[in-house]
Amino acid sequence: MTNIYAALEIGTSRTVLAVGEAQSGQRLRVTSHAEIASAGVRKSQIFNIAMSSQSVKSVLKEIERNQLEKGTVINIENAFLVVSGQHVKADRFQGSAQIARRKVSAEDMEEAARNARAMPLPRDRELLDIIEGNYSVDGYGGTTTPEGISGQIIRLDTIHVHAEANRINDARTAAGEAHLELREPLFAATCAADAVLSDAERRDGSLVLDLGGGCTGYALYADGGLAATGVIGVGGNHVTNDIACAFQATQAQAEELKVAEASAIVGADPDAAPRIQIPGSSPLMEQRTISRHALDTVVNARCRELLAIIRETVEEAGLLHRLHAGVVLTGGGAALRGFADLARRELGADARLGFPSQVDGLEDAAFPPSFAAIAGALMYAHRNYEEKSLFQTIFGGFRK
Amino acid sequence: MKRDSTMLLIGVGGAGCTMVRGILSRFGGELRHLLVDTDAASGDDGQPEFLLLGAERLSGRGTGGEIVSARLAAEDSASKLDEFLAGVRLAVVVAGLGGGTGSGATLEIVKHLATHGIVSIVMATTPFAFEGEGRHRNSRGVAAMISDAANATILVPLDHLAGGCDEMAAAMRVGLDTLAAAATMFWRLVETPGYIRLDAERLRRMVQSAGRGRFATVCTGGPGRAERAVEELVRSPTLADGTNQVRSIICGVLAGDDLRLAEIGTVADGLKTAFGGGKCDFELATVNDEQTFRGKLCVVALMFEAPAQQQTQEKEGSRSTRKRKAAEDRRRALIPNSPFSNSAPTIWNDEDLDVPTYLRQNITLEF
Repeated sequence: MTNIYAALEIGTSRTVLAVGEAQSGQRLRVTSHAEIASAGVRKSQIFNIAMSSQSVKSVLKEIERNQLEKGTVINIENAFLVVSGQHVKADRFQGSAQIARRKVSAEDMEEAARNARAMPLPRDRELLDIIEGNYSVDGYGGTTTPEGISGQIIRLDTIHVHAEANRINDARTAAGEAHLELREPLFAATCAADAVLSDAERRDGSLVLDLGGGCTGYALYADGGLAATGVIGVGGNHVTNDIACAFQATQAQAEELKVAEASAIVGADPDAAPRIQIPGSSPLMEQRTISRHALDTVVNARCRELLAIIRETVEEAGLLHRLHAGVVLTGGGAALRGFADLARRELGADARLGFPSQVDGLEDAAFPPSFAAIAGALMYAHRNYEEKSLFQTIFGGFRK
Repeated sequence: MKRDSTMLLIGVGGAGCTMVRGILSRFGGELRHLLVDTDAASGDDGQPEFLLLGAERLSGRGTGGEIVSARLAAEDSASKLDEFLAGVRLAVVVAGLGGGTGSGATLEIVKHLATHGIVSIVMATTPFAFEGEGRHRNSRGVAAMISDAANATILVPLDHLAGGCDEMAAAMRVGLDTLAAAATMFWRLVETPGYIRLDAERLRRMVQSAGRGRFATVCTGGPGRAERAVEELVRSPTLADGTNQVRSIICGVLAGDDLRLAEIGTVADGLKTAFGGGKCDFELATVNDEQTFRGKLCVVALMFEAPAQQQTQEKEGSRSTRKRKAAEDRRRALIPNSPFSNSAPTIWNDEDLDVPTYLRQNITLEF
């Protein structure tokens, strides 16, 4: 039995859609994926429904074209939504329960978990994920297996990731106008981590940075579980804008400079030409050359600042010296030349690009780390809906 | 028990029930009230007006500090609560936030009151600063939701109520006693005839859209007692809590037969000048009870703040607004036509991260 899932991300820079297939209990394979430039999105928030709806329609068409080339016909009617943006927050909660018969039983653990899951959120927030941590019994804790321990109160630490409900609804509206129903919203950073990290890396301590256009999501793992997660409202578009501002270039020219020439480390390539030519953007702004050193200085300042914020965040969690498995970079921003090296220097840990190694089928993508979040969302769908025999529901969304 | 009153006093949770008992013993007369808890021990003194929440779910054992259990217990017992609400138009709910029942059940009860059209004012304590982060988190989380659900909310940190106490037990007792004393005076203003009376229906109308509030009480005596009362109120930490401008003040003056008109004027003018800038709505009531207040002058002051949106409008043109606008103009000048110019700024450690880093850090570029 083959299960089929789809996931959509409406990002600041690009709108991405991917379809994955898997046999029950088997590894997931991404059978088709497409991305197009986003419109109507600013700092990860939709500000023009019609424009972003058009982006969704275009990416749907692109997927259909891909499928046709492969000789299959698929009509995607629903997809899981990958969410990021400054409005995403993560809070720690504790669920507790009275231990019924002096020793912790499975029922007590389940009640504590149930109470943690039932923790109310303000009306304007929508829950994206609840990540369960360790249990404690009468204040003594740090275990995932408290069964049989004597005590009176059992508590479970959880992290609740939630987002502004209106922002999710905007995405639903935009997708709805493209005749695509959105299923559960999922947090981009933890989805990306699912796709790129192994269990051993989670245990040893690792940090996943999902570098988007409008923001950067992070997910910090230690002892096998999520220790902290959140979003910093700085992304690749800030780098682009800094370049545009420094060299009086258009956003398009600045983006081109960032992708083709810029480096996060000043003087990284001693053989590179010291001047870079950029075409004129208006009759008054003729073709000219700019200093590579100045370009890299601008980009370096922004990247170092972002990494300093991340360093502060990891330090607050007390885990800066426990990133034994290093820093893993995902998202389109990870393609910036020299960023991994800079991360290594600024965070004092090994840094690498995050290829979605937990799924197959993305080997042909132009830059696989930029598909990590969406691959993680497909893995979530496979993990949670296959086991609950929701095949019919999912299958109903796809007419072959 | 005065069942014809349209005002009902509800104590929720252990601290709430303790406060209601304090109010009942102080008030001395009949006062329509209800004690509500998930712990059966709170009704052990045979109070007929006691409602055990979630009897089937929790078997009267309490919630162990669990908010969700308390909310579910309150939902279970909603129909039983209805039996106590006949004819009620204004409910004063007292509770201690931070624990399970006081936090969780208060929220559900206030929501339930709203469905019956009953206006609610919540007077609640928040945990001492030294209490565990768990209790503070419970309190913070639920306080916002209670403020949303209730017509008026007065939250008082226990630290402010129990200022001078060293011992924990004494501090807790003093804190709850102070809040109980305030609520008692408040009740007297409505239920006890005075020269200037606060009508229950007028009070209901004032509370209906009151929002976030603060309160303080003070008792003085001897010559210059009115001036001293105003001075003490102005210095009161519980009135200093608020950050927003005061929109309305309800002031009660309680004294014996020796209360002079000039003293009422001193208190009224002093409070209006100190807290309302002379512009807020002001409601004053007096109680003349020679037996209880002989030689004393007690003042209870409740103040409600203007909502944040209104504040912004009122402050338009003020210096801080002009400063903010100038900063915004500078920001726009630095990032003309940027992708962020029409979006909320990204602020970190008071820095606007949308402004290019090299500009903020004064980095010189070698062009």
